[in-house]
Amino acid sequence: MTSPGSAGRRSRLANQLLSYSVPVLAVLGALAIGAVMLAMLGANPFSGFWAMAKGAFGSSGALVETALKSTPLLLVGVGITIAFRANVINIGGEGQMVSGALATTVIALGMTDVPSWIALPLALLAGLVGGAIWGAIPGALKAYFGVNEILSTIMLNVVAVQAMNFLLRAPLIDPKEIERGTRIPQTARLPESTDLPLFVENGRLHIGPFIGVLAAVLVYMLLWRTTSGYRLRAVGQSGDAARYSGMSVERNVVWALTLSGAMAGLAGAILVLGSEGHRMVTDGSTIGFTGSAGFNGIVTALFGGLHPLWTIPSSFLFGGLLVGAIALQRAAQVPTALVLALNGLVVLFVVSLDRYRRQLKEREERSASAIAIDQEGDDGSPPPSGKDLEDG
Amino acid sequence: MNHNRKPGLARLWVLAALLALVAAACGGDEAEEPATTAAPGTTQATADAEEEPASPEEPMEPLRIAVVAPSASNDLAFTQSIVDAVNVIAAENPGTEVAITDGTFIVEDAAAAIRGYADEGYDLVLAHGSQYGGSLEEIAGDFPDTAFAWGTSTDTLGQPNVSAYNAASEQGGYVMGRMAAVLSDSKVIGVVGPIEVGDAKLFVDGFANGAMEQDGVTVNINYIGSFSDVALASEAAQAHIASGADVLTGSAQMVVGAVGVAQANDVLWFGTQANQTSLAPDLVVASQVYKWEIVLRDIIADISAGSLGGKAYEIDLANGGLAIEYNDGYPLPAEARTIADAAIAGIIDGSIHPLEQMFVEEPEPMEPLRIAIVAPSASNDLAFTQSIVDAVNVIAAENPGTEVAITDGTFIVEDAAAAIRGYADEGYDLVLAHGSQYGGSLEEIAGDFPDTAFAWGTSADTLGQPNVSAYNAASDQGGYVMGVVAAELTQSGVIGVVGPIEVGDAKLFVDGFASGARNQGDVTVNINYIGSFSDVALASEAAQAHIASGADVLTGSAQMVVGAVGVAQANDVLWFGTQANQTSLAPDLVVGSQVYKWEVVLRDIIADISAGSLGGKAYEIDLANGGLVIEPNDGYPLPADVIALAAATINGIIDGSINTGAN
Amino acid sequence: MADIFTSAVIVATLSSGIRLAVPLLLASVGEAFGQRSGVLNLGVDGIMLLGAFGGYYTTLKTQSPWMGLAAGLAIGMALGLLSSVISVSLLAEQGISGIGVYLFGLGMSDLLFQRLVGTPLPVKSFPKVPIPGLSEIPVLGDLFFNHSLPIYLAFLAVPVSTLIINRTRFGMNIRAVGENPEAADSQGVSVVKVRYAAVTIGGLMAGAAGAVLAVGLGIFQQNLTNAQGFIAIALVYFGAWRPLGVMAGALVYGMVSAVVLLLKTRGIIPLGASDLAAMIPAIITVLALVFAARRFRAPTALTKPFMRGG
Repeated sequence: MTSPGSAGRRSRLANQLLSYSVPVLAVLGALAIGAVMLAMLGANPFSGFWAMAKGAFGSSGALVETALKSTPLLLVGVGITIAFRANVINIGGEGQMVSGALATTVIALGMTDVPSWIALPLALLAGLVGGAIWGAIPGALKAYFGVNEILSTIMLNVVAVQAMNFLLRAPLIDPKEIERGTRIPQTARLPESTDLPLFVENGRLHIGPFIGVLAAVLVYMLLWRTTSGYRLRAVGQSGDAARYSGMSVERNVVWALTLSGAMAGLAGAILVLGSEGHRMVTDGSTIGFTGSAGFNGIVTALFGGLHPLWTIPSSFLFGGLLVGAIALQRAAQVPTALVLALNGLVVLFVVSLDRYRRQLKEREERSASAIAIDQEGDDGSPPPSGKDLEDG
Repeated sequence: MNHNRKPGLARLWVLAALLALVAAACGGDEAEEPATTAAPGTTQATADAEEEPASPEEPMEPLRIAVVAPSASNDLAFTQSIVDAVNVIAAENPGTEVAITDGTFIVEDAAAAIRGYADEGYDLVLAHGSQYGGSLEEIAGDFPDTAFAWGTSTDTLGQPNVSAYNAASEQGGYVMGRMAAVLSDSKVIGVVGPIEVGDAKLFVDGFANGAMEQDGVTVNINYIGSFSDVALASEAAQAHIASGADVLTGSAQMVVGAVGVAQANDVLWFGTQANQTSLAPDLVVASQVYKWEIVLRDIIADISAGSLGGKAYEIDLANGGLAIEYNDGYPLPAEARTIADAAIAGIIDGSIHPLEQMFVEEPEPMEPLRIAIVAPSASNDLAFTQSIVDAVNVIAAENPGTEVAITDGTFIVEDAAAAIRGYADEGYDLVLAHGSQYGGSLEEIAGDFPDTAFAWGTSADTLGQPNVSAYNAASDQGGYVMGVVAAELTQSGVIGVVGPIEVGDAKLFVDGFASGARNQGDVTVNINYIGSFSDVALASEAAQAHIASGADVLTGSAQMVVGAVGVAQANDVLWFGTQANQTSLAPDLVVGSQVYKWEVVLRDIIADISAGSLGGKAYEIDLANGGLVIEPNDGYPLPADVIALAAATINGIIDGSINTGAN
Repeated sequence: MADIFTSAVIVATLSSGIRLAVPLLLASVGEAFGQRSGVLNLGVDGIMLLGAFGGYYTTLKTQSPWMGLAAGLAIGMALGLLSSVISVSLLAEQGISGIGVYLFGLGMSDLLFQRLVGTPLPVKSFPKVPIPGLSEIPVLGDLFFNHSLPIYLAFLAVPVSTLIINRTRFGMNIRAVGENPEAADSQGVSVVKVRYAAVTIGGLMAGAAGAVLAVGLGIFQQNLTNAQGFIAIALVYFGAWRPLGVMAGALVYGMVSAVVLLLKTRGIIPLGASDLAAMIPAIITVLALVFAARRFRAPTALTKPFMRGG
C-alpha cells in the first residue's frame, strides 16, 4: 500500500472502525428487542443473555461448539461472496448442502477398509462435487435457457430434500434399521476412516472449521489473484462491458454458481462427517439437516461485507449467536421458537443498517483515493457492496 | 405481563450493581441517606452492637434490611407476608432502610440478589423462599459478617450467621378446616395447592384434618404443580366446584385466580398467608395471616446483641405470629365462630395437634430429579412431542421438587445433540432424547457423560451404553384395535390412512391399523405417506383425496394430521387418533384415540436411577402395561356390540391370542 | 384402477388442486406487484405464517372467519409496510432482508401460538358459497362454482391485478419504477411512494394467503405454510410477472400435487416412491419454464434499491 498522508489515515481509520461497528450495533439492537420479548415471556433478559454469552463464548467447550456451528455458515457464506461478485443470487444453498452431503455419504459408505488419507479427501471432494452440480444446474438454466436462478434454486431445494428422503429411506438406509423394523431414515455409521480428525482425543473440535478458513483464503486468492476471478468480477460489474471485451457472460455465470454450490456442498459434507452421530439422518425437511445454514450463510456473507476473509470472523460471531441462543433457551426455558425469531431479528437489523456501513465505507474509499491511488484497494478490507470492484 | 416486568426491573438494578439508594427506592420506602461506600454497613453494625447491646423493648439500631422473594410483593400471599412484616419493622424503627427484590423465582437470580445485597453491606438479608437454601449455604459462608434469615425452614444450614424461620400454618389451617366443615352444605370441600412442600403442605394437611374432624365431609385436594399458574389454579377451583364443593381454600400466590372463581360461583373461600378478603369481599370467611414481624423482632434483637444467626424461629397461634383475621363483610354463624375459638384455644394449650390425625400416606417418595426433554416438534402438537411432555408433567406432579426443562422443536438433529449435551453438562439427572433420529448423536454423547442417565425413544435399542434406556410404543396394538373398530364402522368399505414418512411408531401404527381393518372385514385400506411430518396442508389434501376415493373412516399419525382431522370433521367422516387424545379437534367424529402414557415407563426408569442403575434396559408401553390406552370419545355414540368387539380385541392382544401383524 | 376416472374423483382431485393453489396464488400475485416495482420480497413465507396465526387466532377468539381474514390482511399489510421500510427506505440488500422476515415470522408465529393458544383448537372455516344456477352444472358446477368466498376472491384478484398493472396510472407507475426508476423519477413519479404501495400490497396479499390457509384448514400449527411462500416467489418467475401467468403456475403446482396425492392414495404410486413423487411438481415447474422462459424478461430494476442521484 502506498503511504497516504497521516490526516487521511486517521479519518480513514476512524471511518473503518465505524463501519465495522455498524453490524455489531445492529446485533445489539436486535438483542434489545429480544430482551423485551424475553421479559414478556416472563424470563429474565439479563440472565438470559448472560447464559447466551456464556453458552457461545464462555468456555473452551462453548468456543468449540461455536466454531463447529460456524463452519457451514462460513462455507456457504464464502460461496455467496463468489455469486454476489458475479452478480447472481444463490438462494439454493440449502439444496446444495443437501446434495453435497448425499454425495459425501454415498462415497463414504463405500470407503470401508480404505485408509483414511484416501477416504477422507475423497469423501470431502464428493461433497464439493455434489454441491457444484446442484449449483451448476441453475447456472446453466439461467445462462442458456433464461430460467431465473431464484426460481430454479428454490425448486431444486425441493428436489434435493425429496432425493434425500428417498435415498435415506431406501437405498442408503442403515440395514440395522430394516432388521429392527424401526426404519429411521439414517445411514449406518460411516466408516471411521472418514471421520474428520479431532484436535484433542475425545474432544469435539475437528478439522472442519479449518477447512472452512482454508476455503475462504483460497476463494479470496481466486477472486483477486487469478484471471478467472477477475473475469467473474468483471461479468458481475457489467455484463455488457465484459461481453464487449470478449468474455463469455454465460460461462462465467455457470462458473460462479458452480463454485458457490461447491462451497455449500462442502459445508454439507462437513456437517455429515463431523456430526455427533457420524452419519446422515433426516426428519424429512431440509432445515432439519442444514439448520438453515444455506440461508444464514447469506446473512453471514453480508455481515462480512461480502468479502471472503471478513466472512471468517463474521461466521464465528453468527455461529456464536446461534449456539448462544440454544443455551439461552435452556437457561430461560422459553419456547425454542424464540431462537428463530431472534435469528430473524438479527438478520433484519444487520441488513437494515447495512446502508450506513456502505456509506461510511464509501466515504473512506473517497478519502483514501483522494490521497493515493490504491493498487490493491480491497485486499483485507470489506468492499462497499457486491457491485463495486477495483481491478488492480 | 406487567406482573413479569416488575421483577425483571428489580433484578436489573441488582445486576447493574447500583447502590443502596436505588435499591431502597425500588423497595418503595423512604430511604435515609445511606453510606455509599461499599463496606461500612456491616462493620458499623457490629461496631455499634459492641458498644450498646440493645434489649428488645428499646428502639433498635437503624438497620438495612433486604428481602429476596420468589413472587410479586403484591401477591396477597407468600411474598406479601414478608414485605408487610418488614414494613411493620421499618415503621417501628425509624431509619430502617428496606430493599426488596421480588419475583426471583429463578433461584440463580435470587442467589445473585442475595449475594448482591450482602456485598452492598445490608445488615440482614432475608432469603424468603425454601428453594433458596442451597444457594444461601454457599453465600452465607462468603459473608460471615452479614446476618441472613431463611424461610420457610427450620434449618439454619449449620451456619452461624443464618437464622431460620417457619410458620406453623397447619394450626390456622386446622381452625379454618373446622369452620369449613360447619359452613359447607354439600359437605364437599376443595383445596387448591401448589406443590406438596413447605408451609403450603402444612396448611393443606392441617386444613384437611380440621375439616375431616366432622363426619361425612369429603376434602378434595388438588396440588396443581405450580406456584405461579393462575389459570391452572382457576381451573382446579372450577373442577372442585364441578365436583360439588361449596367451600374452597388454597395456598400460595397462584390462588388469586381460584378466589375469583369462588366469587363467580358464590362459593366460600378461606385464605392463608395474607388477608385475602379484598379478592372476594362477600365470600372470604377468614384468612390466616402470617405476622413475620414477630420473629423478625427476635432476629433483629439477636443481631443487635451481636449474634448473627444459628437459631430457628417459628410463628404460631400462641406467639401471635399467626392470626385468624375474619372478614367483617361475611356474616359468620355464631356456631362456627365458637368452634373456631375452641380450636384455637385447644391448639395453644396443646390439647389439639393439627397434624396428628393425618394418616401418613407418602407413596414411596422418589428423590427430586432434574429431567430434561429434547423433542423434535412443538410441545403442544397434540401428537408425538406432547405425549412425552404430558408424561413428564405427570411425573413432576407425583414427585414434588422435580425440575423439568424442555427444548422442543429441535427437528435439526445437530441442534438436538447440542441441547442433549448441554443438559447433561448442566447436571440434569435424566435427559430424554425424544426422537428416533437422535440415536446416532446420543450414542456419542452418552459415552461422554457416564454419570448422566439418558433415555431414548422411540427405540428398542440402548445403543450398547450402560447409561441409556430405550423406550418404545407398541402403537401397532392400538392401531390394530382401532382398525378392527374402523372396519365395523365403515359403510363404504374404504378406509383412508394419512402417514408422515414410513418410519418408527407411525409405521407401526399404520401397519397395525391396516392389518386390524383387513382382518376384520372385506375393506380397502388406502395408505398415503405424504413425505412430511409438518405439512398440514398436504395432510389435509391427502384426507380429501381419501374421501374422494370413497373413504368414510380416516386415521393418521404424527403432528401434521391436525389438518386432516379438520377435513374429517368438515366432511362428516370418522377419525381415529393416535399419540395424544385428539377428540378436541373434531368432537363429534373422533371415535377414539390411542394415547401414549409414557409415565408408565418413566416411573420405571426413574426408579432404576434411584436404585443406581442409569440405563441399559429397553422399555415399552403397550396395552397390557397401561402405557397405551384407547380413550374413546364420549361424544361419539359407539354401538354396544362394537365396544364389546374392541374390548375383546384388546384382551386378545394382551393375552397374545391376536397378532397385530406389524413387523 | 379404472374408477379413478369417475367424475366424482376427478372433481375432487381438481378441487383439491384449486385449494392447494389458492394460498400460492394470493401470495404470488401480491409478490408480483412488488417485483414489478423493482422490489424482491423473500419474506413472503414469514408474512404468510404471521398472517396465518393472526387469522387463526382471531377466528378462535371471535368465532368469525371473516374477522380472521381481516386480521390476516391487517397483519400482512403491517409486515408489508415494514418490508418496504427496510427495502425501499433503508435500501437493504433485498435477497437477504426477506430471509430475516421469514425467520422472524417462522419463530414468532410459533411463539405466539404456544403462548396464546397452547393446545390447538379447531376453528370455524369459511362456508361454501355455491353460486346459484352455475353450481348446478354437472361436473363443472362442482369444480368451479361450489367453493368458499375467499377462493372466488383469489381468482377474481387475477383479472383485477392485471387491470391495475396494465390499465391504470398506478400500474403504469409501478412498471415505470421497476424498469427505469431514474426516468420515472425525472417524470415526477415518486419511486419511494410507488414501491411502498406495491410492496405493501404484496404483504397484504401474503397475509391474506396465510389467513385463508389457516382458517381454511381450521387449525394452526408451527410452520403451517411449510415453505409455500418460497414456492410462491418461484411462481412469480414462472408467471413472468404477469398475474395470469402466475395463476397458471399456481394451478400447475396445485394440480400436479393433487394428482400425485390421488395416485399415492390409490396405491398407483408405490409407497416406496412417494418421495420421488413429491419432487414432481417442482421439476415440472422448472421444465415448464425451460421451454417458455426466453420470451420474458425480468423488470430491469428488480432487486436494485433506488436512491435519488445515487
